[in-house]
Amino acid sequence: MKIAGIGLVFAQGLGMGALETALNRGWVPPQEVEAPHIPGGKTPAYLVNLEALPDRSVLKKIRRSDKLSKMSVLAAADALRDCGIADITKRKLGLIVATAFGPHVTTFGFLDDILDHGDAAVSPTTFSNSVHNAAASYVCNSLGINGPTLTITQFRFSFQAALQLAQTWIDQGRCDYVLAGVVDQYGDVLGYVADHKLTTAKDGKIKPFTFKPTCQIPGEGAAFFLLGRENRGNIYCGIDAVHTGQAPDRGKPEDLTIIDADGMLPDETMYRGCLSPDVPAAAYAPLFGSMMIGSAFNTAAGALMIKKQLLFATPVADNPAGIRLLVENGPASVASILCAGYNCYSERSEILLTKV
Amino acid sequence: MENNKDQELAKIRKDLKEMLVRDLSLEDINPADIKDDEVLFGEGLGLDSLDAVEIVVLLQRNFGMEVKNMDQGKEVFYSIDTIANFIYENRKKA
Repeated sequence: MKIAGIGLVFAQGLGMGALETALNRGWVPPQEVEAPHIPGGKTPAYLVNLEALPDRSVLKKIRRSDKLSKMSVLAAADALRDCGIADITKRKLGLIVATAFGPHVTTFGFLDDILDHGDAAVSPTTFSNSVHNAAASYVCNSLGINGPTLTITQFRFSFQAALQLAQTWIDQGRCDYVLAGVVDQYGDVLGYVADHKLTTAKDGKIKPFTFKPTCQIPGEGAAFFLLGRENRGNIYCGIDAVHTGQAPDRGKPEDLTIIDADGMLPDETMYRGCLSPDVPAAAYAPLFGSMMIGSAFNTAAGALMIKKQLLFATPVADNPAGIRLLVENGPASVASILCAGYNCYSERSEILLTKV
Repeated sequence: MENNKDQELAKIRKDLKEMLVRDLSLEDINPADIKDDEVLFGEGLGLDSLDAVEIVVLLQRNFGMEVKNMDQGKEVFYSIDTIANFIYENRKKA
């Protein structure tokens, strides 16, 4: 299947233009955000500032939604805009929203309201936003998507699961196109857990190639991909394979390996297993933050590089293991890119992007 | 006495407007721009039935007022003025 449009919202803005700017600019420090449950009361994080986005018109229809749903709608609308296919919602268009944590901020808010005000005085709107399907519903309603719709809540590899399901729907003929995306939100509880269970980067830099010890900076955002078979739209590249677990030997090396290492695991040495001295490596988590759904943002970066035949340097190049890193921006012949990730059981996921 | 009532009603109206804009996420609306006698539902401020349910909860949470009867709700939720009067009268009874 092919990527015919991409939309995303992350700490550095909305859309592929914002991603390209971020890739060109390189690392920028995270914000300092209030963190009441962390010693010192603050933590670095890459958060989405919805108020600062230039075009928020699509949000007017969904004023009751929470931030998770708003990010989903913004990114999904951006993907459909990016594809440039005028009648896209009139086609057999499916929707898959993948998330690691779902609307946990709203869920905790709902539970806090029960404790503070009693169950009779809890906001029904907060309750309705606390269900995991809320984001998908808002996307469908806002964009007029009438095809099959599914939410995948999966701790690791939820993006990969969304891609695999999208491929199935397209192969079965259930959909001409599938809008498959990811979303996750930062919240106080997540910040507390990340700070206590993992190591927060004191200098504000995620160092993907340090491997151990690792350090993380929480991020949030949404990324949606319009996937289909046809050659219409704003084609970025093909997705030739999505594997979780054992991947077959592909025979020839790719032009770049992008790894999902971002400090969300305390030991990321397993990433050495997918790196080769023959292929340069990069990791873009320092631009958008540590997220269980970070694969989607790395895939968006890979797709952009294939489409534009450009390579963007890995933004933080601390490299004690002497890995062959991509350290310069510039034009290049890019035929294929492998995006690789690992879960806490050292299982590997691979997404193979190829030039169409 | 009358002066006190006016002051108290003015304070309730101000709190109500701020509460509605904040808790109903009324984007691009300034609390001060809502008129005291503006119709809240339908043509006026444009609130809908889901907002009505939310207002029931907000009144209970913020003012300790219960609106259990939907017919009563239609009258009470007509405008900021009618809600403020409802709160003022029922506070006095409490």
